[in-house]
Amino acid sequence: MIEVETLSKRYGTHLAVNEVSFDVKQGEIVGFLGPNGAGKTTTLRMLTGYLAPTAGKIRIDGIDAVRSSIRARTRLGYMPEGVPLYREMRVHEYLRHRAALKHVSEVRAAVDRVLMLAGVTDVKNRIVGQLSKGYRQRVGLADALVADPPLLILDEPTSGLDPNQVRQFRDLVRGFGGSKTVFLSTHILSEVQAVCDRVIIIREGRKVADLTLGQTTKLEDMFAELTTNSVAEPNP
Amino acid sequence: MKNTWVVMKRELGSFFVSPLAYVVLTSWLIFTGITFWILSEFYARNAVASGSDTPLSGFFGGSALFFIPLLVFVPVLTMRLIAAERQSGTLEGLMTAPISETSIIWGKYGAALVMWAMLWIPTIIYAWITSQHGSVDWGAVGSSYFGVFCLGTYFMAVGLLMSTIAPTQIIAAVLSFVVLGALFAVGVGEFVLDGTLREVCAYLSMWGHMHSFSKGVVDSRYLVFDFSVALLALGLSIAVLKARRHG
Repeated sequence: MIEVETLSKRYGTHLAVNEVSFDVKQGEIVGFLGPNGAGKTTTLRMLTGYLAPTAGKIRIDGIDAVRSSIRARTRLGYMPEGVPLYREMRVHEYLRHRAALKHVSEVRAAVDRVLMLAGVTDVKNRIVGQLSKGYRQRVGLADALVADPPLLILDEPTSGLDPNQVRQFRDLVRGFGGSKTVFLSTHILSEVQAVCDRVIIIREGRKVADLTLGQTTKLEDMFAELTTNSVAEPNP
Repeated sequence: MKNTWVVMKRELGSFFVSPLAYVVLTSWLIFTGITFWILSEFYARNAVASGSDTPLSGFFGGSALFFIPLLVFVPVLTMRLIAAERQSGTLEGLMTAPISETSIIWGKYGAALVMWAMLWIPTIIYAWITSQHGSVDWGAVGSSYFGVFCLGTYFMAVGLLMSTIAPTQIIAAVLSFVVLGALFAVGVGEFVLDGTLREVCAYLSMWGHMHSFSKGVVDSRYLVFDFSVALLALGLSIAVLKARRHG
């Protein structure tokens, strides 16, 4: 579903992402981990077409995301960090607007479906700017889901949520159960352990680990080791 | 085309639920109302001296009072278009939706033109008031509004470009004010310069533009200028938005 080959992004003299390569298969839930400033958000922004890579290739569902960016964007739902929304709109208006932008044919049905899925039906007539952070986060998730894309890309999806809301979010993501591919960035290790099949760790723009999670994986120790020592070369 | 409409509809919706819309429209009507009253008073007292000028031709093309408020109101109307989305972070959602930069810019521009029209539609009442007390050359009124529309096509495109370039709304407003102010100042050159420079200034002059239209003369040179500047500003806005992806 995602194929990334030697992806790099340079801002002036600073190399934010340095020759990162990985694949994500259909139906996988993959965590993208790294300390603050490691290049997670930059990588996600390149996957979603918001930023163009300096070098490297991205394929989303088999579509070249650099050359055919608009077509690739129809295959994914994205929830940016901090979930920026139009605060003056009502929830259902906002989702209808987003559905129209994403060429959804049955807008009303699609909006009703995601209102239910994200658990925001009870606030659908409220103004977005007056919602609590947890609800805004869920509206952002509803937005990512509204065109029913096969791939979800979520940047720090649970930051600022209370423990109950985090649990609801995890249940929702686990509920996709192989029907959708989820690629989520976070620095909350317990979240990765709870919902992800696999984890990719980056540090200072380079991939330092790509591993399948098992019951016994000591992610916390591994993360500390990989992200506090000098940058290791990726495993061959 | 559909994407353009979706962007335009949201922009207008958000504009008309904001207090800014009502502050701008109300202040504008107060300002133009006072201008029209001053001109009507002047022409009523100086009927002989005014010659072929009328309160309406004075309103549209004969006085600096027409342009000075526009240099302020246009930047205030256009500053939000892209800069507000960038400041609030919603630009990321817009630019990761499956739509082109061209659709985004044309949608924003369409909304800006509707805002421009909203400024001017209520002023039709001044023509009606005049018609109740004297004769009105409706052909000249029509060409005046056509001139206003053409002027708006480039004013709003310049404002949109500045909003696309600027990192914040305030900077966008200041840049639009500076650029439109400079274009206005160039027009003044028509009265102080000689030779070719005078010709160039006359061609660029928004004052000359409206003076001609307010007399019922539709001068195609001004139209070419208006639409060229508008298309250039829109093309540059699209290019700036595309370049942002390489930021």
